[in-house]
Amino acid sequence: MDAKLKETILNPIFKGNPITVLVLGICSSLAVTVTLKGALVMALSVIVVTGISSLILSLLRNTIPGRVRIIVQLVVVAMMVILVDQILKSFEATYAIDKQLSVYIGLIITNCIVMGRIEAFALGNKPWPSFLDGVANGAGYGMILLIVAFFRELLGSGTLFGLDILNRFGYVPNNLVILPPFALILLGCIVWVQRSIQKDLQEK
Amino acid sequence: MNTNNNVYTVVYTTVIVVVVAALLAFVSQSLKAKQDANEKADTISQMLTAAGYATKADLEKLGNTAVLAKYDEEIEKAFVIDLEGNELRALEGNNVYSPKQLKRQNYNLKGGPNKTGEPELPVFIFRNGRTVVPIYGAGLWGPIWGYISFNTDLETIGGAYFDHESETAGLGAKIKDDPSFQAEFVGEKANFADVNVLEIVKGGAPKDAEGNSVIDNKIDAITGATMTSNGLDAAIDTWLAAYAKYFLANKPACDKPCCQADVISSEVEKSNSEEE
Repeated sequence: MDAKLKETILNPIFKGNPITVLVLGICSSLAVTVTLKGALVMALSVIVVTGISSLILSLLRNTIPGRVRIIVQLVVVAMMVILVDQILKSFEATYAIDKQLSVYIGLIITNCIVMGRIEAFALGNKPWPSFLDGVANGAGYGMILLIVAFFRELLGSGTLFGLDILNRFGYVPNNLVILPPFALILLGCIVWVQRSIQKDLQEK
Repeated sequence: MNTNNNVYTVVYTTVIVVVVAALLAFVSQSLKAKQDANEKADTISQMLTAAGYATKADLEKLGNTAVLAKYDEEIEKAFVIDLEGNELRALEGNNVYSPKQLKRQNYNLKGGPNKTGEPELPVFIFRNGRTVVPIYGAGLWGPIWGYISFNTDLETIGGAYFDHESETAGLGAKIKDDPSFQAEFVGEKANFADVNVLEIVKGGAPKDAEGNSVIDNKIDAITGATMTSNGLDAAIDTWLAAYAKYFLANKPACDKPCCQADVISSEVEKSNSEEE
């Protein structure tokens, strides 16, 4: 794999992470991180949506009329989001989780990462790198989601993926952790950690 | 090719919208049967939860087939009644009212331009003696609905389960997610003679000296979710008042031994659920 492609994949995971560096997609990362299961389904849904809509729009990039390109992007992204929602609703295993995520699956369409990457990358690059860029950005988003959800479920419910971890030792679940503001606090800590490792992100 | 001329732009957007619409319509049609089956199993598990058979989480683990089998096994009688409390017809072939059907009946109950006919209200009687009835109404952001079960005295609540479409997570969503809120209903007595059959009150339901909830028709509202609590209160009152004639007509005389036994068992359950 050539270096540029590798960069396309690795950059969004850490150095150019959509949540902690580009500060996109904060809203849903506060809302769906109460449980790891919810965060995982959300992360996978976003990966599918960003990956495939980037691929489709990159294939269409030379035919899209410039004046209506945002509308065309929206149509494709909305289609992908509805497809994901419909498919999640049809399986027994994911029905309950789809109900729990409810509006947030539909709101993937407004997730800035999706439109941001299409506008910034997919419309100017070949399909394969665009697909990888979409997937990698979705994965970078998903990774932060899972980190936040790990702490929130562990401290807020005493469980991980619904399995009892801390409660058996007499841990009292902390309600503050369940509330959305705590996700913001955690997110701040993640940004802090990343900026102390990656010095070039610090403003002079 | 000039992709910026008007004809091209119009034709292009038309084609893409038609293609996407056709694809989505196809997918939606082909997945509908599966989605309906999931929704039905979900509805049934909500009723079984309200009737006190298991917790919602345990029923979800069982899977759709087992939930349907459990319902077939445990349902004694399911039928629809009119506002006068008369039985209209039996509900055949484990037809349970989906939230969509409840919505239609809610319009019929409230009247107005969406009314399509006289209300037909479902009643589900389970083998453990509990009678389950649905409620439906408006929360803060979208519809809320749920099921309340009554013991054989048709007055004491045996259990409740509520669901919602899009209430705020951590606040209004607690009507579904917080088992302690649902447990508050257990053991309380509905007052079918009044328009306020059950009251969800702000600032705490009356408590006795030991801090236990007094047995009345008052339930503690959810802190930070006044609008959802008010919506739930209105939904419960609208629906239970519609059932009032049925419940009052079928209420057993309260000196029956079964009646006493129920009160005791519901109190035991209440203390159990509080321990959880």
